[in-house]
Amino acid sequence: MAERSGSPHVGSCLSCVDILVSLYFGILRLDPWSQRDVFILSKGHAAMALYSTLALKGFFQADFLKGYYQNKGTLPAHLDRFTGRGVEVSAGSLGHGFNMGLGMAYGFKKKKSGRRVFALIGDGESQEGSIWEGALFAPKMGLDNFTGIIDCNNLQGYGRPKEVCAYEPIREKWQAFGWKTLEVDGHSHTDLIAALKEGNQGKPKMIIARTVKGKGVSFMEDQLIWHYYLVTEEHRSRALNELQ
Amino acid sequence: MRNAFMQAIFDACERREDLMILSGDAGLGVFDDFQKRHPDRFLNLGVAEQNMVSFAAGLSLAGFKPILYNIIPVLMYRGYEQIRNDICYQKLPVILAGIGSGLTYAPQGMTHYSLEDIGLGQTLPNLTILSPMDPLEAKMSAGYAMEAGTPVYVRLPKRGEPTFHERDFFDISKPQILRPGSEIAILFHGSIAEEVFRAHEELVRAGIHPMIISLPMVQPLDPETLLEILQGVKTVICVEEHYENCGLGNILARFHAKYEPGWRLETMGVPHRFIHEVLDTRGMREYCGLSSSHISAAVRSRVGGKRLPLRLENRLQAQENMGG
Repeated sequence: MAERSGSPHVGSCLSCVDILVSLYFGILRLDPWSQRDVFILSKGHAAMALYSTLALKGFFQADFLKGYYQNKGTLPAHLDRFTGRGVEVSAGSLGHGFNMGLGMAYGFKKKKSGRRVFALIGDGESQEGSIWEGALFAPKMGLDNFTGIIDCNNLQGYGRPKEVCAYEPIREKWQAFGWKTLEVDGHSHTDLIAALKEGNQGKPKMIIARTVKGKGVSFMEDQLIWHYYLVTEEHRSRALNELQ
Repeated sequence: MRNAFMQAIFDACERREDLMILSGDAGLGVFDDFQKRHPDRFLNLGVAEQNMVSFAAGLSLAGFKPILYNIIPVLMYRGYEQIRNDICYQKLPVILAGIGSGLTYAPQGMTHYSLEDIGLGQTLPNLTILSPMDPLEAKMSAGYAMEAGTPVYVRLPKRGEPTFHERDFFDISKPQILRPGSEIAILFHGSIAEEVFRAHEELVRAGIHPMIISLPMVQPLDPETLLEILQGVKTVICVEEHYENCGLGNILARFHAKYEPGWRLETMGVPHRFIHEVLDTRGMREYCGLSSSHISAAVRSRVGGKRLPLRLENRLQAQENMGG
């Protein structure tokens, strides 16, 4: 997909794909559809990872992916909820999806529906003021049906979060805001599923998932350039060999 | 107007379970009785406007109809990107109720004036903009917004404005003829109504009868009705408490270029400058060239085919006022 389309953000996708697989194949209740749990990819630039997961889950045919980021294509590089089934919200600008998720969680609680909301944000995204506006309100509203996950791949567009701002200690920050917090290896499906299943104890939950940008491809792992670099044919064949 | 608008919402809450009122720590006293009656239908989301707009989008996706209440600058300017991406791009039927339109908050200072909100609203597809000019139009705007399946921004002044409409029920999406006339039409929206009607009284005393039309639905414009109403009119003077370069005048200028109607268009609005002067609302209108006497002078200059360069005259006066 990345090579065919010539689109960036492959590193950002590889860091969170284990989280998406854990959610879609181990956690989310999607049946009946009207009462489904909602997953929001707030870091909308990792759309390729979401589209691939949705295709694997049967939301759309694998052929549909061929139109990703193409002229007269099917799916844009950032999420548009009118383009594909299972794309719950439009997202691409950071610090929006998380807060929409809080509103949805509140709405579901008001309707006493039992539906849950999961939102994935990036560590770079955590610098948005809107994230902290939401962080202040969610515990007060008792949103124990909301779970946030931070894909802490330790690389944003132009450096490491801790070099850019006073990012760490990130878990303690969320804890101080009144959230239930957990810290896990974001590439261990077992750990992720255990953390996602753990009770919220009346609070919104934030899972700090420690991940590696470009995970699974040796020449991409923890490399800043793979936030934006484009995948060539040679990159692709080397990467697929390693991933298989 | 604010009270008439909110009362219509409160009344609807008695029969509709989906309405939720969200305030961004604004409107002290407005919601007291409502909160007592329906504590579960009101949320103060605090001084956190970005969260409030996205949160409302989420509530809408969960099946609720949120009404966001805040002063216009923090609602429309602070939350612009959230309104663009989360509300309008996703085509969600959220109601944005903005208070303190134009210069009605003077002399609070420039940070609190709303002179470019219609300009921003014009950039947003799917957004309906309503700018009621009296409590009845405010009430009708609430009714329209609550039924709409798409986002609606309602631009409200403060409270205590007089009622100018004589009939109770009308279609808020149409231009409203409030006083008959033929040669000259004054087209306006929102809080400048007081000045427009004062000007009209002056003119009538002098035997001049301009047609007075309010245009509560600024976006989208209804071209057919507008062309029909203005048939035979020689001059249309657009008056608004908004920057002249990006409000209704600007919308009408595009309309004029597209349809080439038989009338000449003049626009009167707030000159495109930041305001540092400390004046109350009426003083501010006087200063910006929008008082009733400015409006009546504009009409007089057009009566009987006289051709004073009105636009130039307004500009020179504003430049003089603002030390330009």
